[in-house]
Parts: sequence; structure tokens; C-alpha cells
Amino acid sequence: MGNSELKTRRLALILAALVATATLALGLAACGGGGVEGDGETAEAETVKLAGKPSGELTISNWPLYIDENTVSNFEKQSGVSVKYIEDVNDNAEFFGKMQPLLGQGESGGRSIFVVTDWMANKMHELGYLQGFDPAGLPSFEKNLRAELKSPSYDPERAFSAPWQSGMTGLTVRTDLAPDVHSICDLFDPQYKGKVEMLTEMRDTVPLVMKCMGVDPEGADEGEWLAAIDKIQGAVESGQIRRFTGNDYARDLTSGDAVAVIGWSGDAVQLQADNPDIEWRMPTEGCILWSDNMVIPVGAPNPTAAEAWIDYVYEPEVQADIAEYVNYVTPVEGVKEILAERDPELAKNQLIFPDESFTKNCTIQPTPTGEEEQKITAAFEAVLNG
Amino acid sequence: MKLGRRTVPYALLAPGAVWLVLFFVVPLYYMGKLSLESGTVGSLEFNWHWANYSDALSLYDTQFVRSFLYAGTATAIALVLAYPLAYVIAFKAGRWRNALLFAVIAPFFTTYLIRTLAWETILSDQSPVVEVLDTLGLAPGGHVLATGGAVIAGLTYNFLPFMILPIYASLERIDVRLIEAAKDLYASAAGAFWRVTLPLSAPGVVAGTLLTFIPASGDYVNAQFLGSAGNQMIGNVIQSLYLKQTNYPSAAALSFVLTALIMVAVLVYIRFAGSEALMGEEAR
Repeated sequence: MGNSELKTRRLALILAALVATATLALGLAACGGGGVEGDGETAEAETVKLAGKPSGELTISNWPLYIDENTVSNFEKQSGVSVKYIEDVNDNAEFFGKMQPLLGQGESGGRSIFVVTDWMANKMHELGYLQGFDPAGLPSFEKNLRAELKSPSYDPERAFSAPWQSGMTGLTVRTDLAPDVHSICDLFDPQYKGKVEMLTEMRDTVPLVMKCMGVDPEGADEGEWLAAIDKIQGAVESGQIRRFTGNDYARDLTSGDAVAVIGWSGDAVQLQADNPDIEWRMPTEGCILWSDNMVIPVGAPNPTAAEAWIDYVYEPEVQADIAEYVNYVTPVEGVKEILAERDPELAKNQLIFPDESFTKNCTIQPTPTGEEEQKITAAFEAVLNG
Repeated sequence: MKLGRRTVPYALLAPGAVWLVLFFVVPLYYMGKLSLESGTVGSLEFNWHWANYSDALSLYDTQFVRSFLYAGTATAIALVLAYPLAYVIAFKAGRWRNALLFAVIAPFFTTYLIRTLAWETILSDQSPVVEVLDTLGLAPGGHVLATGGAVIAGLTYNFLPFMILPIYASLERIDVRLIEAAKDLYASAAGAFWRVTLPLSAPGVVAGTLLTFIPASGDYVNAQFLGSAGNQMIGNVIQSLYLKQTNYPSAAALSFVLTALIMVAVLVYIRFAGSEALMGEEAR
């Protein structure tokens, strides 16, 4: 009798302790914010308010190995702004996953500039997570942005996104093992069964397959996206497509496990240096052009310095240093002329300085939006995870 | 202040309890709430959206079945490989015992990801392993990498030590005099093993299978790097929902379903194998 009473009392004590700690923890968690729900409205996009001369501190988030060694310190010397340059963007979706809870509350985690790919810039803008530029702070950007990049469908006025570097998505082939692959349609040729790979990046893979099907990806509707995804699904079921990859197609091409893949132009410059049999080819249907863009998030401290940075890298001499180091397609006019003197070989490379006839059939990377996006993404992910 | 005898246990319990509440109960609560929301990122709304659960089951039943199939197969293969190895280390290795145990753990000095990526090289199309398998007709389509077989091989390899160590621990504890007694009483070597050694090592086998099967069911690394589109496991779906589709509610619901299914499977298994086997003699 007394014993059972004791047990009950002990149990009560344990429960009380548990409830107390749980309440405390919940309180802490609530103070810390978190959760992923927003307020349900798309915020009216605010615009950068310039405040005199740039000064103070500036934090920039960019992808790894995407800048030369001198540009940041040169900018600091010239402008007097002290820069914290962090390379913490490895994947658009993952970076979004990391920042979204903050952005949802109008904070940017202390960062004033993110560098994200077109579709992610678009998505962030739609969610009201970005600030519009004040053109007054961006004279070089207005003047030197290359013409073909001036009006992408998601930001026709370039009002909130400034390209950092661009690239092309097309075919990367082993010239010794698949000499005859010249088009995206050739990837569906049964003689390469089990040796073909495509990218897990939906906005590269699906639009290229649309091109093979004779559909213009620019402004394609939901049905056309889904039809292309169906075609890819068919190639998976027949064993034509070995697997879907990110940059790791490099390994499979090098070993010969894959002979023709959908791949990025920037990678190919480096891969070719290691293995001369690897070559990036412009598909006969054309390529996908994408850009990684500098954007200014909501709640960004020191937007004045952020605009100063954007404008600084649009000076051709500054951009030439970056282009020489990263080997991607530069978005700035006049860089080729500067590099032609410094490094003529580099200035001739079509993958770094593609001329208009080279990219004439290419499309700026399209992206579905809103509910359509969720549905199409789900369909594509269902193929990847089938 | 002198702590009363009664309060001491609670004081000792407190750090663990706080830890458990902070890092298990609280996240679980948020996950539970999230799993009942609907809408897209930026406009998620809590509205008891139970459809996330029914959708999770109906849309991804294939991946669930596949996950348990792969994890189960990997566990079975690991058991077949691990038992003899653990037996040798425990009873026959002599002075090599520590060296062999070290060899079992040695791969853990490399990260999980690198160990998995190494299999891309081992199972590459031109590798000797695959050429032998191909000659034997065991590599349909001429390749092993990017198939379900490669995923199972990766899972087996990565979780093998979790099978070996508990089995070794339970074998090593066995009093050899019991086996000698069995032989004195005219049991054959096989008979002694079957009626003395094996039952006494059952706790290790049960612990080993659980330690292998549970993490293998939720794994996504092996399927991502060694599998292809038709070999993705439920972990890959959850990863894709969270990070690529930013469909947090479905991902949360799917995680709960996975947890529940694994718990049911484990309870059934323990019921079948007996909790005594799991806890050893102490449970009696």
C-alpha cells in the first residue's frame, strides 16, 4: 500500500520534471524563432536605399573557387569597405533550405549579397526575399552587362539580379568512345544503352530534352515539361540512361562508365586538361544558358556597399581578373579585348567567350513557377527516385 | 545542502532527460506539426492535413518496399559474413585477436562518404570484379554499378562492423567450459555449437541485425552513389522532398511513416526473437 503510493509519487515527480524541462525547451525554441511558415503573403519588394558613399562592412556568400585571389582586397582598398567573403553556396536548393527560415522573417543572416542561379533568384524574388536595385548605384553594371543577358524572362529589367558568371549546358562526350554524339537526340540512340547520363538539375536536363523533341523550352507549358519528363522516364526504363548525376559525371566519363552525358561547359575546360578525349559539344539543337546572379536579400545590412561591389566587378579590368581565373562565360562587355592581350589562347576559347553564332540556338535557362513548379519538380524527382 | 536519497536518482537522470527532450522530443513535436501543414514554402498553413500521410504511403510504397528489401538482404548477407568472422576472432584467433578486431574497425577511420565512393571504383565497368561477374553471367547489362545489386553491396559493406562487433562481444563472453561440458556429454562439435554456442550468442545476433537493419533502411548515401533511377530508397525520397522540392510537410510525414514502420518491424522481430535474446540473461 505505502509502497505503491511511493511509486505513484515518484512517477508524478518524474512527469513534473519532464513537463518542466519540456516547457522550458519549447519556450527557448519559440524565442529562437524557427519553423518554416511565412506570413502567407508575397511581400511588396522593397528597393535598396542608397546612403551616401559606401563604407563599413559587407558580407558576400558565393560558390567555392569562383573568384580570383586579388579582387576582394582590391575592392577593399579602392572603396574602404571591409569585405567578409564566404564560400558557403554549394547547391541552390540546399542554400535556400538553409536561408529560408531567416528570409521568411525578413533577415539575411548578416549577408548582403548571395550568388544564386537564375531560377533560384526568380524563386527568391517571387517569395519577396530580395530587394530591388537602385540603378543610381550601378552605372558600370548598366553600361557593361552583355546585351544577350539584359532581359531574361524572370527579370526583364535586371531590377534585382546581376549575373556573376554564366555557363552553358550541353553535351560532354568521350570523343574516342562516342564520336558520333552531336545532338541531345543522339543520347537516346540504343547503341549507347547504359552509357548515357543526365543531370539531376531539372532545369538543365528537361529543357534540353524538350529541344530534342522540337519544343521551345522558353515559355513551355506544364504539358510540354511533363511530356519531356515522360520521354526521360522511358529512357530510364529501357536502361538507356545509366544514372542521373551532378558534377560526378566527371568520374564516370573518365573511367568510361559513361560515354556521353549532359554536362556543363565550365567543367569541360578543366576535364579536358586532364583527359584530352573529353570534349564539350554544342548540341545541334542548341544549349541552355544559365547565369549565377548576385542578389541583395531582404534585411541585408549595408546595401550601399553591396551595390558598390556589384558595380565594381562590372568594370572590365576587374572582371578580366575574375574571368582569367574561373574560366566561365563572363557577363561583362570588353573583357575579351583585355584578355586578348594578356592571354590570347584564353580569349579564343569558345567555351569562355562564345560568339553569337556559336550560341545562336541556345535558350536562357527556363523555369516553371508557382504551383506548376511544384508539380513538375515532383514529376521529375519521381523519375530520379523511381 | 545534502541531497536526499530520493532526489539523487532524479538529479542523475536530469542531464539525460534534458538532452532527450531538447534534441528528440522538441524536434519531434515540430516535425509532427509540420507534417500536418499544407501549402508551398512561404505560405505553409497548419490545418491538420492528414492527407500528407496517406499520400506518403500511396505515392512512395515502391520505395518503402524497396528500402526494406535492400536493408533486409544486406542484413542477411552481413549476418552470413559476420558470424563466422566473429567466431574465428573470439575462439580461434589467439594472439591475432586484437589485430583482427582492429581490422574490422579500421575502415571507420575513413568517412562514410569516401568508403561508399570507393565502391564506384571497385564496381566500375572495366574493373576486374565486374569483368569476372560478367563472364559468369552475373552482371546483366554488362554493369554492376548503378544497379540494385551495387546498392545492397554498399549497404552490406558499410554496416558489416555493426553486425560483427555485437556478435563478437556475445561470443567472447561465453564460458568455454560450457562447450567443453557439452562435448564431455558426447555432443558432436556441430551439436555443441548448435545447442550451446549459438543460443548463447543469440543476443549478439539480435543486436547486430537491429544495428544493421535500422540504419540501412533509412540510408540514402549508398543508393545515391551506387544506384540508378530505379534503385532509390525512401531516404532519397525524403532528402529530395526536403532539399530539392522544399515540400517540408510531405517530407516530415514520410519521416514519421518510416519511423513507425521500422518500429513495428523491430517490435515484431523482438517479439519473435524474444526480448531475452536481446537483453541476454540479465532480462531474466
